[in-house]
Amino acid sequence: MRRASRTSKLLIEPPTSATGDIAFNLIIFFLVCASVQPDSGRQQDIPRSEENQQQKEDAKNIEVAITSNLNAVSINGDMLTTSQLPAKLGALLIGKTRPEDRIVIVKSKMDTPYFHWIDITAAIEKSGGLVTIQREEEQTIEVP
Amino acid sequence: MKITRKKYAATVPSMAMGDIAFNLLIFFVILARATDDSHLQWEPAEAVDVTTGGVSTVSVVIDIENKYYINGQQVGIAQIAPQIDELLGNAPIEERKVLLKVHRNATANHFEPVIEAVSEAGGQLFHILEEKRESK
Repeated sequence: MRRASRTSKLLIEPPTSATGDIAFNLIIFFLVCASVQPDSGRQQDIPRSEENQQQKEDAKNIEVAITSNLNAVSINGDMLTTSQLPAKLGALLIGKTRPEDRIVIVKSKMDTPYFHWIDITAAIEKSGGLVTIQREEEQTIEVP
Repeated sequence: MKITRKKYAATVPSMAMGDIAFNLLIFFVILARATDDSHLQWEPAEAVDVTTGGVSTVSVVIDIENKYYINGQQVGIAQIAPQIDELLGNAPIEERKVLLKVHRNATANHFEPVIEAVSEAGGQLFHILEEKRESK
């Protein structure tokens, strides 16, 4: 009986000295996991539509139409392959120094995939063009 | 008779250390989740010349199912322009960066309205892309 009462008075403390280290490692693990999101990319300056309207009145801009065919693109109505685009655009933009003259209007079909749009706009910007978009308009006509 | 004084070990109480660190962990995780969009599913398109995006207050995601998210919160197409406008406010030009994370196969009818909305709000558009390795 005496022996039992003596043991119950002992304070048994779990080894807690490593808990802080474990939790700290957990913090590092979660922070590293959170930072694997991609953050690289490309900046693109697209002028506002009000500015575009003004510029349209002043100058005739180059129009690039992106079709559903990933290997072809149209410049001012002329069809050419995507690999020919930088050379053709470079030739059309020669001597154009004013930003409003270097605007290239990009018209995309509704089913144009993003990766293709990025490729085409990258080629335009590399050739010295300033990308602006012209969306296909949807109109609902109610028949009485 | 010499009475020896008892020596007590002066140790730092480490019992609460784990609890404090655990609460810190919870705090940081919640803080990170508030504006996090890492749970969203999308695959970046590829490009040759990419740079680092840096810090931005607005992030727009178009995920694999063509759903729109602003700073991790799902929004409708009509809410994109006013929300970007509200988030950017009167911030100076260097703080008007908008990160655009579009799934590589998303179509123009989904991503063009977002680009237009960013442009209208006066945001500095930054496409998040994966670096393409050019084959020699």
